[in-house]
Amino acid sequence: MNAAHRDRIGDALTYLAMLVIFTFFAWPLLWLLSLALRTRREVFLGVSRFIPKNPTLENFAQILQSDKFLGYLVNALKLSCLSAIGCLIVALPAAYAFSRFEFKGKGAWMMALLSVQMISPLVIMVPLYRYMAAIGLTDTHFGATMVYIALAVPMVTWILKGSMDGIPKTLDEAAMIDGCNRFTAFFRVILPLSMPGIASAFIIAVITGWSQFLVPFLLIQKEALTPIAVGIFQYAGTQNDTSIQLLAAACLVSVVPAIIAFLSLQRLILGAMTAGAVKG
Amino acid sequence: MTLKARLLTLLSAAAILAPLSAASADDIITGDTVGPADAPNKMTFRMTTDGPRNNDPALAAKYSKLFNDFIANHKGWQIELQMMSGDIGQEQARMLEQAKSGNAPDCAAVDSFVLPLFKKAGVLKSFSPYFKKDDIDQLFPFIRDGITGTDGQIYAWWWSTDLRVLYRNKEIIKDAPQTWDETKKAALASVEQGMEGILFNGSRYEGTTFDWLANFWGQGGKLVDEAGKPIFGEGDNRAKFVKAVNYYRDLVESGAAPKRVATIGNYDDFNAAAAAGTSALFVGGNWQLSQLKGALEPEEFAKWTYSPLPGPTAGERSTGTGGWTVASFAKSEDKVGMCAALAREVYMGPANEIQEQLPTRADFYTKYAIFSSDANKGFGEALKVGQARPGALVYPEISNQIQIMMGKVLTGTEATEAAVDDAFKASMEAFKRLQ
Amino acid sequence: MSMLNPSAGSGAAGAVTALGGRSAVNETPRVAPWLLPLILVLGIFYLYPVFDVFRLAFMRATLLDNDGSYTLSTLINTLSRPELGQILWVTVVFTGASVIAQQALGLVIALVVVRGEDRKLFGTTIVRTTALIAWVVPGIAGGIIWKMLFNEAPFGGLNSILRMLGGSPVQWLSDPHIVMWSVVLSNVWRGTAFSMVVMYAALKAIDPVLYEAAAVDGATARQRLFYVTLPQLRSAILVNMILITIQTLNTFDAIISLTGGGPGRSTEVLSLYTFNAVFRNYDLSVGAVLSILMLVISLGLAIVYALFLPKEAKS
Repeated sequence: MNAAHRDRIGDALTYLAMLVIFTFFAWPLLWLLSLALRTRREVFLGVSRFIPKNPTLENFAQILQSDKFLGYLVNALKLSCLSAIGCLIVALPAAYAFSRFEFKGKGAWMMALLSVQMISPLVIMVPLYRYMAAIGLTDTHFGATMVYIALAVPMVTWILKGSMDGIPKTLDEAAMIDGCNRFTAFFRVILPLSMPGIASAFIIAVITGWSQFLVPFLLIQKEALTPIAVGIFQYAGTQNDTSIQLLAAACLVSVVPAIIAFLSLQRLILGAMTAGAVKG
Repeated sequence: MTLKARLLTLLSAAAILAPLSAASADDIITGDTVGPADAPNKMTFRMTTDGPRNNDPALAAKYSKLFNDFIANHKGWQIELQMMSGDIGQEQARMLEQAKSGNAPDCAAVDSFVLPLFKKAGVLKSFSPYFKKDDIDQLFPFIRDGITGTDGQIYAWWWSTDLRVLYRNKEIIKDAPQTWDETKKAALASVEQGMEGILFNGSRYEGTTFDWLANFWGQGGKLVDEAGKPIFGEGDNRAKFVKAVNYYRDLVESGAAPKRVATIGNYDDFNAAAAAGTSALFVGGNWQLSQLKGALEPEEFAKWTYSPLPGPTAGERSTGTGGWTVASFAKSEDKVGMCAALAREVYMGPANEIQEQLPTRADFYTKYAIFSSDANKGFGEALKVGQARPGALVYPEISNQIQIMMGKVLTGTEATEAAVDDAFKASMEAFKRLQ
Repeated sequence: MSMLNPSAGSGAAGAVTALGGRSAVNETPRVAPWLLPLILVLGIFYLYPVFDVFRLAFMRATLLDNDGSYTLSTLINTLSRPELGQILWVTVVFTGASVIAQQALGLVIALVVVRGEDRKLFGTTIVRTTALIAWVVPGIAGGIIWKMLFNEAPFGGLNSILRMLGGSPVQWLSDPHIVMWSVVLSNVWRGTAFSMVVMYAALKAIDPVLYEAAAVDGATARQRLFYVTLPQLRSAILVNMILITIQTLNTFDAIISLTGGGPGRSTEVLSLYTFNAVFRNYDLSVGAVLSILMLVISLGLAIVYALFLPKEAKS
């Protein structure tokens, strides 16, 4: 058996695996799409009507007609982006310190940070609510954003530290000899060089924020402030199953912006993560 | 060094302020308020879908009109609408938590079955000054008792009630089953015609407990005693309880009900099965009649009817009754008054009418033409054997335990008696903890 | 719930490094200002409530009232509840199966995608994107989607396929022996993308020289996998497993909309049980005790995994 022959068998197996993987991941979404395009009459025909006879965009129109869903999407986008930016602002200096300075108890600090990451918001839900209510931060995007930041910042700090570790220390030292102080060295030299790490941290923080459920469920009551994960939960709870096609359309609407973001940013995301993970 | 420190302070301040500037823009968003934006008085109202945000556009329009008329009559007010999800237990718990920390909405829909909990917690404001004695006297006795506190004041307005009935497709099941045996036979007969059999709630869902309880109550069973202590697992009550559980168990084991009932936790699944034409018999709520009308083609809908829930014998019947109240958590007197006015002017009567939700006062059954229809008269008749869930603190846990037990029994993973005893033991534990 | 990143893993390894010490920069800069924002945000918005959890665990607080006195009885009663054993077992099965499946599947997909890219096979990008998309589906929506698929009514998403193919319908959610695997399946669908990304990144980071050397030695594909790839991935795999274990332990949003924990208690994991203690039984103190239990389990597992980290990752 020669190499080319082996490669061809390998390719065939790869294609087979890709087909299986694709089916597993795409089927639920395709099914959702199929339901969302059906009329009420066709919803109950199961898979035999996978491609609807009379496909309709009526369901999407109905979902998007009310300002509700657009509002949910805008809120989710706003919360996740603001919290990701906030995360970077808080985590960058800390990551620099962890990467560059030697200080007493550094290892313990970093371990502590990692254990904070393990505290699920579920653990603190009730005290968190009371506390936020006491300081008047319920029903504000500010309050939710700050909790999102606190939730994501330990891991963002780790990612950033990892990427800064990869930048030779001689660079900061050279900059400081050239008259920079620590801060300007950090700002002018390290920040630009850690852009891949920053990008990957930002994307992770956005995704984390996008799928937050418990925090906004607890802290946000006003419908006008509700993000999509809670919005879809409430919509499902108040919806007739006889309008399963509407629920399907609503679910798709909640996923589509993220899909678009992924399609357009995929290369960047994978690239950034590969860059960030080199130091295992 | 100080420069660095100052820069960092600035940075962290920016981190805190950046989202703040964005947050202040939120107030402009509208779409969930009623009344002029510059109104001097504002009231928050948290509601179920019984309001302008109903998912049925026609109903939403009718409700919007009611609300707009209401606000036109109350100059200087704006109502901010908040939605609650269908997960009632969670929503009510969240509201109680908010009431405790002083953040509850001014006015809200409170499920009648958590009313005792809210009354005991002392978070509700008295409605007595705002309702005439005549109005209160017209309420059905179980409704009046439900809203009255230990001090004799009323703390909510219970405006709608509901009950459970047995829906059937007349073409497939001609006669209304009166007893458990007849139900099983009818369901098995429908299975032979390619149907799924009888459907009912059987998963981790409040409706599972509530719908089934009629079978226990019909025999005269009691969940709790006067002091609110669980007694359903003792003596005579236990025998009745086990008998009623075995009725459901037998439906599944004999094939009269599909195994998937253990996954049903939503009345709308029945509408779906009716629309899909896969079931001819289900235990549902009275409100589903109008939903079926909307979901089915007219000729299909004509085939459907309902009858009172069957009992072990035709004489031992009951049905669970629930419903929604409007209550106030407001801190200021004028908001309490506004909330009461909303209950009185929008919900007491008009809302019943547009949504065909059964009224809680006897006189409305003649006052509104819609409630003198045959279908609604039938519901009114069935209400006579209606029973509300006990207003005991431990009820939510009893219900949770019944749902768990039902899951074990319907899937055949545990013997009925053992599952019932587990549920009783856990309920007693919870009762002791709540003392 | 939260999505973590591969490099957070390099952190786990890095934390051990830091303990070992490293050549210091020749100055002792003031560290505090650099860490202050982090400490403030975490302290104010997260850690302070954590202390309250520990306080509540030693009280008898419900949503209704709290007598303010301290007691050990909640702790003892909660931990000796008869159903806790089953809840923990369900949690172990759910977490174990999800973690193993996500890790294995994530690795397979990453290998397939990397091979596909190397050979420039058609459709690689499509496959990669599809797997990634599930990652951004909110948990609640994921639960709803799978509920539609698992619906056992004749028109359900999976059973209608089986019917069409002439198979008999499966009781996806009503058979207590199958329901757990259905729940795991839905969780794997949503969670695998993360493991795939971590494995993909780690695969890309393997020095190509190692493969060239293996090729010179005449290693077969299988030998390359077992003697080059897997050993190189060891620390990435362990780190990934720490992260997805914690994620999975905390997952309840997908289960709540898929089964609510039923039938019976067959899919009631610890996180859902905790959620129910607070939101259905109104019992704050029991919720607090269960929360601490969850925390202890997560920390314990993280330490166990950390012990398995290979030596070279520590240095």
